[in-house]
Amino acid sequence: MSRRALTLWFIEGVVGFVFMVGGAALLSLWIGSWTWLPAWLTDRPWLVPVAVAVVLLPPVIIEPPLRFAVHRWELSADVVYARSGWLSREWVFVPVSRIQTVDKAQGWFERALGLATVEIRTASYAGSSTIKGLDYAVAARLAEDLSHRAQQLRDDAT
Amino acid sequence: MVFAVIRWVTFTYTIAGDRLELTRAFVSRSVRTIPLERIRGVDVSTPALHRLLGLAVLKLDTGAGGDKQEGELNGVTVEEAERLRAVLLARRGGAVVTSEASVSAGESVGSEPVEEHYYVRVPRSWLRYGPLSGAYLLTPFALVAGAIGLLFQWGDEFGISGRDAWAVGEWLWDRPQYLIIGVAVLVLAMPFVGGVMYAIFNWDFTLRSRDGYLVAERGLINRRVVSLERRRIRGYELAESPLERAAKLVRMWAVVTGLGDSQTRGQLLPVSPKAAALAIATEAIGPFGTPSQSGTSGQSGTPGQSGIRSQSVAALRAHPAQARRRRLFRAIFPWLLVAAGAAVLGWGVVAMIGFVLALVGIPLGLDRYGSLGHGYDGTRLSVRSGSLRRTQAIVERRAVVGWTFKQTWFQRSAGLLTVIAGVGAGRGGYAALDTGERQGVEFAAEVTPEWLDQFVIRS
Repeated sequence: MSRRALTLWFIEGVVGFVFMVGGAALLSLWIGSWTWLPAWLTDRPWLVPVAVAVVLLPPVIIEPPLRFAVHRWELSADVVYARSGWLSREWVFVPVSRIQTVDKAQGWFERALGLATVEIRTASYAGSSTIKGLDYAVAARLAEDLSHRAQQLRDDAT
Repeated sequence: MVFAVIRWVTFTYTIAGDRLELTRAFVSRSVRTIPLERIRGVDVSTPALHRLLGLAVLKLDTGAGGDKQEGELNGVTVEEAERLRAVLLARRGGAVVTSEASVSAGESVGSEPVEEHYYVRVPRSWLRYGPLSGAYLLTPFALVAGAIGLLFQWGDEFGISGRDAWAVGEWLWDRPQYLIIGVAVLVLAMPFVGGVMYAIFNWDFTLRSRDGYLVAERGLINRRVVSLERRRIRGYELAESPLERAAKLVRMWAVVTGLGDSQTRGQLLPVSPKAAALAIATEAIGPFGTPSQSGTSGQSGTPGQSGIRSQSVAALRAHPAQARRRRLFRAIFPWLLVAAGAAVLGWGVVAMIGFVLALVGIPLGLDRYGSLGHGYDGTRLSVRSGSLRRTQAIVERRAVVGWTFKQTWFQRSAGLLTVIAGVGAGRGGYAALDTGERQGVEFAAEVTPEWLDQFVIRS
């Protein structure tokens, strides 16, 4: 896990935050004419975006460090183990012998930060794992190793 | 009509070597080539019209997923469909035999007797269980809706204009007693019509094995034959509603890799007595609950039907008491919230409904907890959950492709964990809901120790 993943999660959080507050601000332009709402709200439509901002701001700030504390991955004895989440947690174990495809992907922000995501797919959604926020070089090597090893171990039991 | 003729004239199929070629040559030409070894199942059905003309529809399951990917031969004669099915499946099964042998077998298989073994010919008396399953209960309403739709679409042709229909509607509206009687008749007709529909679809259900395939055949008008490749069957799923549970009935279908819509196409039995269903599944696919590898307590021979039942239930481990609290909370709290909210706003009726539903949530939550269970017998693992629709999946260990453990913030504070076995078949993942933290991890480590032992610190 690269430290830059912190920046990535923060940027993603801020983008989401801006969209939500922007949406709420747009909504507040209409609210003034909605008669079925109580008067104290229609008189002060700016309350809506402010409320949204107050609710959403703390997660934007605390999510990246929490995620950074939780997210881990490990490849040992031909089993990929990945832990993710922040409030809820998820542990995924995928044996290399059952891997069908390994993808390496980079979004806009990830490219700017030199990060990458490795997606490991098996025949089942519940045996598939996405490892986000890896250093590009690490991700490239992991993807390479996994696809190489998966070919050697290919087990068609599924 | 003309199009249908042209489509029929221009559609040809050939078996060329180890491939099946479907050619469509009207204006644009398309050839679909399906390697025979890719054909994993053949589904023959004869809808009513086809049956009158002695024709059948062949559907080829290629494991590619998605309807578009599958081959379909519409309108071959019944004998030809039978022959094709035998040829296509014999080649598939012949993968272990030398290619020469499989070719010759393929050519003459139509006449050769094939080894068949019937697991069950469902007695007609079992058809009476159909209405209990709730299948096709809405048919009367669907029929009426269809008739009304038809009236609006074609009414003009019969001299019935939209205005007439409107007039009838208004006339009815003024005399609500007729409307009520009509609805009552429909409601009363529900179990009856549902039962008839169910009987039509599940008439003379048989399940048999035929060189490497499980073949399920059913239907009165549209006789449908589904062949499932045995090598791809990974287990089976059972489902019960509370009504069915009270009557000790169960529905069952196979978990098959690469088979879309497994609940319909993988159906192994109609609604059947549970003990019999388990005995059939044990014979056709494999047992759960009698350890076949360790063989510590496994009785040899054929255990009695009640024996299987009690074993398969006993083999499931219960989940911790915190899981009961969580099930109850989730069944009750949302409705209490609705009731409280409605009470604050002064909506008395909504508050009452919310409160009643919250009360109903108490037995529901307890029952949901009672359903929770997981187990492993050395070959197959099993998970069970649900109340209004209780499902139990029994899946081979080798079908597991990975594990996902999930824990929400609430589960973490309760010390619970949801363990999902990723399986490349059926629903894709089978979850043991709300196991104890240690219990869940140990369950996964027990099934696949070679993957998980290195990560697990045992007590």
